[in-house]
Amino acid sequence: MISMRKSMKKFGAAALAMLFTVTAAGCGGGSTSTQGGTAAGGTAKIGVVSYLSGGGAAYGEAIRQGLELARDEINAKGKVKIELVIEDSKGEKNEAINATNKLIHKDNVVAIVGPTLSGEMFAVGPIASQAGVSIMGTSTTAEGITDIGNTVFRNSLPESLAIPPAVKKAKEKFGLKKVAIMYSNNNDFAVSGFKTFEKAIKENGMEIVTTETFADKDTDFSAQLTKIASLQPDAIMVAGLYQEAALILKKAREIGLNVPVVGNNGFNSPQLIKAAGSAAEGAIVASPWYPGKDDATVKNFIAAYKAKYNKEPDQFAAQAYDALYIIADALEKAGTTSDVKKVRDSLAAVKDFHGVTGNFAFDANRNPAMDVTVLIVKDGKFTELK
Amino acid sequence: MDQWLNPYYLQIVMFMLINAMLGISIYFTLATGQLSLGNAGFMSVGAYTSALLSLKAGLPLYLSIPAGGVAACVLAAVIGIPATRLQGIYLAIATLGFGEVVRVIILNMKVTNGALGLSGIPALSVQIGKQLNSLGLGSGLGGITVQQLSNLSVIGLLALVVIFLVFFALRLRHSRLGRAFAAIKDDEHAAEVTGVDTVRYKLLAFFMSAFVAGIAGALAAHITFYIGPKDFSYHRAVEILLFAVLGGGNVIWGPLLGAGILTLLPELLRTVADYREMIYGGILVIMMIFRPQGLISEETLRLWRSKLFPAAKTEQEAVARRSAG
Repeated sequence: MISMRKSMKKFGAAALAMLFTVTAAGCGGGSTSTQGGTAAGGTAKIGVVSYLSGGGAAYGEAIRQGLELARDEINAKGKVKIELVIEDSKGEKNEAINATNKLIHKDNVVAIVGPTLSGEMFAVGPIASQAGVSIMGTSTTAEGITDIGNTVFRNSLPESLAIPPAVKKAKEKFGLKKVAIMYSNNNDFAVSGFKTFEKAIKENGMEIVTTETFADKDTDFSAQLTKIASLQPDAIMVAGLYQEAALILKKAREIGLNVPVVGNNGFNSPQLIKAAGSAAEGAIVASPWYPGKDDATVKNFIAAYKAKYNKEPDQFAAQAYDALYIIADALEKAGTTSDVKKVRDSLAAVKDFHGVTGNFAFDANRNPAMDVTVLIVKDGKFTELK
Repeated sequence: MDQWLNPYYLQIVMFMLINAMLGISIYFTLATGQLSLGNAGFMSVGAYTSALLSLKAGLPLYLSIPAGGVAACVLAAVIGIPATRLQGIYLAIATLGFGEVVRVIILNMKVTNGALGLSGIPALSVQIGKQLNSLGLGSGLGGITVQQLSNLSVIGLLALVVIFLVFFALRLRHSRLGRAFAAIKDDEHAAEVTGVDTVRYKLLAFFMSAFVAGIAGALAAHITFYIGPKDFSYHRAVEILLFAVLGGGNVIWGPLLGAGILTLLPELLRTVADYREMIYGGILVIMMIFRPQGLISEETLRLWRSKLFPAAKTEQEAVARRSAG
């Protein structure tokens, strides 16, 4: 009996504590959300969910910089005013969910750019869809992203559009017959890239001599590469991020494996050349973003980016930069800064948009329809593979 | 009212409740003095089992979620029988390793879709929403939309599980089993000498912990649409341990409070943007300096009880005297 009464009392204390935390949460939120409401006036609030701290922060940071540059330019032109509300997702699913919920339900944003990783998008896409808010991935390349819901967009070229042209071009150019594949098996993006590689290689009638795996943050690839070297392939196809890709290139060249290396989107970074040095020669990647392009938009972007951040923009910055311009375009045509439905419809209708990543339109599935350029590293620079 | 029912807040409450379950799961092993870090592993087993059963086999959620708990329990039997013979830091290392092994296995299995993870998992709120619709509540109830209503139902369900677990833990504490747990925690050899079957009780605590973690994982899978191996990494195991360390691992309220604070804090700190991680880390360090035993210990409870219910004090002392004697 005593223990019973005691546990009842403990319950009372717990209930009180619970009530307290919930009240605290409610109060904290309530005051800021009224603030948000008044600020919304004539500017469109665009939410950003980006990977700003943790292992992939370099990507999230580039995305943020691209967006901020675009915002400043758009606001200076004055056709539409954009306010960015930026949230960090740390590359974690639950954080991304909370960030998205906050942006949609507390900050009342009209559209969201991000998140950075495909896995995060799979978790937050349904939330945005349910609320009817458009969400646009600038770096989510995995298969099936836009199948999540009809408010999920992306301007990142899916692997299925980027890898096949690279494989095809490499085959034509170098007469490839048998190839080896390497991919990072603990990275969703690389696994998806591997699957696309496999398909593209088969479609082009080439033989896969071996498939080797590694993991993100690995530093030693000698076992895999020695095996590959012994099989004497005409080329290696690698799906991974640039950090590992650079090390793979270095090791491959070191053991005398001087064949072309075709990469997925992860290769598409100036950092690859920086990290791999001369070993990067012969690396091939297909990209909508080509800094050497003879185009005024591209040149202006690079100059403005360099002036602001004192470094070369990469593909992540370029795609984010374009994404905000695409949204601004949609906002202008929709003639609203708060009606999420109109913005979505206007966004879905975007076509003939000319950005730094070339001519752009959304297809019926809200995937990008754009041209890719196949690039090869030559003399320490990405140049077009003709 | 609408402000309060903001999906953002409701989602945070859901995460708090899930984390509270995880806190309780580590409390069970801590109650026998075992430092087990396998909870993230058990959580992933529960999450994947339930997600796969509902996705691939079309099992209804009320069956697949308990199945997740059971699967975690089965795995706990495999790992637990050898592992609970280990003590202290050795058990911690073994269970931490176990969690990583599970993650790597999931990463390499076809059915779990490897690193890509499982997406489109049937959501608990959607299922409940459908039920509400069929009950004729499609237009909501008294100004509350059906979406809010289903979110509230999910919270209600999670809260019920947590309340049940808390009640269970409290009752356990004063049962024969709980006393045995406490005896093992204080001194395993002494407990063994006095006739407590330490291996059996430790294993039982391990099972209970795994089951709760499995259920929590399964519920988490069904409130977030997507799970990937990355969600159950070593960081998650440490996070769960942190609930108990910060809140205090000696009483059930400790991990609960720890889970609440550690879920809420990152969200409250969103306003400071770039300094978020720094402040979060700072707060943890400061708390550890001033409250190394955790925020709530038995002394804290006793103190508050005597302040809040002075009348009960004498009775308390009587109990204390009796158990001491």
